[in-house]
Amino acid sequence: MRLLRDLGRRKLRSTLTITGIMIGIMALVVFGSMANKIDALVKGGSEYYKDKVTVSAKGGTMGLGGVLSTRMVDQVETLDGVDVALASTMMLLSDDASTVSMGVPPMIVGSIAGSDKGRETFKLNYSSGRALTPQDEGSNVVVVGSDLSKQLKAKLGGTVTLRGVPFQVVGILEPTLTAPDNEAMVPLAAAQQLFVKTLPNLVADKLNVNEIATGLVVYPKPGVDPQKVADEITAAVAGVTPMTGKDFDKQIGSATSVLNAILIGIGLISLLVGGLSVVNTMAMSVAERTREIGIKRAIGASRWRIRREIVVESSVIGLIGGLLGLALGFFITAMGNDAGRDAGTVLFDLTFGTALSSVAFATILGAIAGFIPAWHASRLDPVTALRYE
Amino acid sequence: MAILEGRNLRKTYRLSRNNTVEALKGVEISIDKGEMVAIMGPSGSGKSTLMHILGLLHAPDPVSGNSLSDGPAPELRLAGENVAALSDNARTRIRARRMGFVFQDFNLVPTLTALENVLLACDYAGIKGKVAKDAAVEALGLVGLADRGGHKPSELSGGEQQRVAIARALVNKPEIILADEPTGNLDSDRSAEVLALFRQFNREHGQTIVLVTHDSEVGEACDRVIKMRDGRIRDAGQRAGTPVMAIPAVAVPA
Ligand SMILES: Nc1ncnc2c1ncn2[C@@H]1O[C@H](COP(=O)(O)OP(=O)(O)O)[C@@H](O)[C@H]1O
Ligand SMILES: [Mg+2]
Repeated sequence: MRLLRDLGRRKLRSTLTITGIMIGIMALVVFGSMANKIDALVKGGSEYYKDKVTVSAKGGTMGLGGVLSTRMVDQVETLDGVDVALASTMMLLSDDASTVSMGVPPMIVGSIAGSDKGRETFKLNYSSGRALTPQDEGSNVVVVGSDLSKQLKAKLGGTVTLRGVPFQVVGILEPTLTAPDNEAMVPLAAAQQLFVKTLPNLVADKLNVNEIATGLVVYPKPGVDPQKVADEITAAVAGVTPMTGKDFDKQIGSATSVLNAILIGIGLISLLVGGLSVVNTMAMSVAERTREIGIKRAIGASRWRIRREIVVESSVIGLIGGLLGLALGFFITAMGNDAGRDAGTVLFDLTFGTALSSVAFATILGAIAGFIPAWHASRLDPVTALRYE
Repeated sequence: MAILEGRNLRKTYRLSRNNTVEALKGVEISIDKGEMVAIMGPSGSGKSTLMHILGLLHAPDPVSGNSLSDGPAPELRLAGENVAALSDNARTRIRARRMGFVFQDFNLVPTLTALENVLLACDYAGIKGKVAKDAAVEALGLVGLADRGGHKPSELSGGEQQRVAIARALVNKPEIILADEPTGNLDSDRSAEVLALFRQFNREHGQTIVLVTHDSEVGEACDRVIKMRDGRIRDAGQRAGTPVMAIPAVAVPA
């Protein structure tokens, strides 16, 4: 209490210092949440791709790019290391480039339910409704990912419009923090119908619509190295690019870890500036209280007590700044996510760990910033300090 | 019995590399337990410096071997124990538990209330909680400020502030109270009140009181007046009302 009163006495300076810390922590929280989100996306992807090989048309990646044929499934399944292969047709939900920013843009994903023959290990949970079934082939039904359901205002039993075609919503997914959050999952035939409309007529006319695929998902036989399967596919099938989980980690993982380091770095630098302003505030407040420190030392306060008093005070400045910064960061990430959801981009994932470590960091930073002034104060000669005007 | 005894106390202030002030030039002093002593002398004669050394706020100059004023090693005994060369922590503990300080300009912590100022002294002496609270309230009562505990120093008159400072010096019932010109900033009525308080504690609790003062009336109210001049003790005084026979006991070889 006494301490808060002391802070109140130096209102303007304390406010400025706390604001400095607050902005630093806010930056750390916001950028940290962004890094969390990217991390979760990448981890989810890494998890999804690790046990399979994804085949795209040459030059494409992750099942997107040029057009393949569902007939390739049979061809691939004859290969030695392959257990199961299935065809999928994917496309962007919208061609509007403005909606494509960070993260994963909203996608339409079509495949025949159950065509993985139970091999898929990536678990999806349904917050309402049901999964697609093989019997859905031929009807326009959709399972909507958690973020996308908010963007499309999808309700179970209602309809959503995908590329101009109405689909009935039969299921809504729980958040996965990765790709499926922004996906509309439809039967393969429906996806093929939507896809063919994205192609120029000249190309479309030459295609057999119900053989269209944009990618294959290939599950190796148990114990077979996905890389070996990828090599087999490259050798046997012309015009395709296979991608393994390792390829994904290499391409995406390394790029994002650099990005994350930059994001966290920006947050830390802004904090450092805030930290220096705590040093300044505490140094000034020690100078201002020289006489008071002299009195306390004279009547029996040990050096340790004086140091503790100042370090505790600067830690409290850090703590208050940290809590305010967290509140501000929370507000910004929540607003950002609300706004981003409509555009199909959820940028931030403010985890409990990020919140806790930001506030802890601010407090520790405050304490460290107090050490130098505290040391100085504790070394003052009591008599000299008493005379100080 | 002497509670404070000093020998060969010297203090040199170094203003710059070759500009030093010899504030104390070898002082011998002995103060008996239960005495109320005034230290008097012209300004700059070293009274405050002596008080700071007696109060363990400063250490006397050690023997350095290269100064002209070098003499025998300094000695400072508190109730018989040599305290001349204790560590800062040990001296701080003694100040907190066995001494009380009163200064000319009150030296209260401006952000704390009167009661909190008194509690600070309890805290530093390791007394906490209800015991401390009771003691602080009692001490404020003794100096006649029972109803002023919640006031900040800025809301109190000079005389009241000095009484808070006295309450703070007394609260731990220290063996010795050291006061540097405690009435210097007070008018004569307030001075008389403050002096009466010191006298009361000296009589009732047997506390040893050392007062540095300019004021000869204050000196007259004490048991003994020690006169200083130019960094030395000129006259160790005689304890009023005590047999002259007691004096040789505190006399020291020149
Ligand atoms: N901290 C200090 N630095 C330098 N000189 C000092 C200091 N304190 C006291 N002095 C000098 O020491 C001498 C004695 O001072 P002091 O003990 O304060 O005398 P008094 O209390 O009798 O007026 C004076 O000449 C004073 O200027
Ligand atoms: Mg003086």
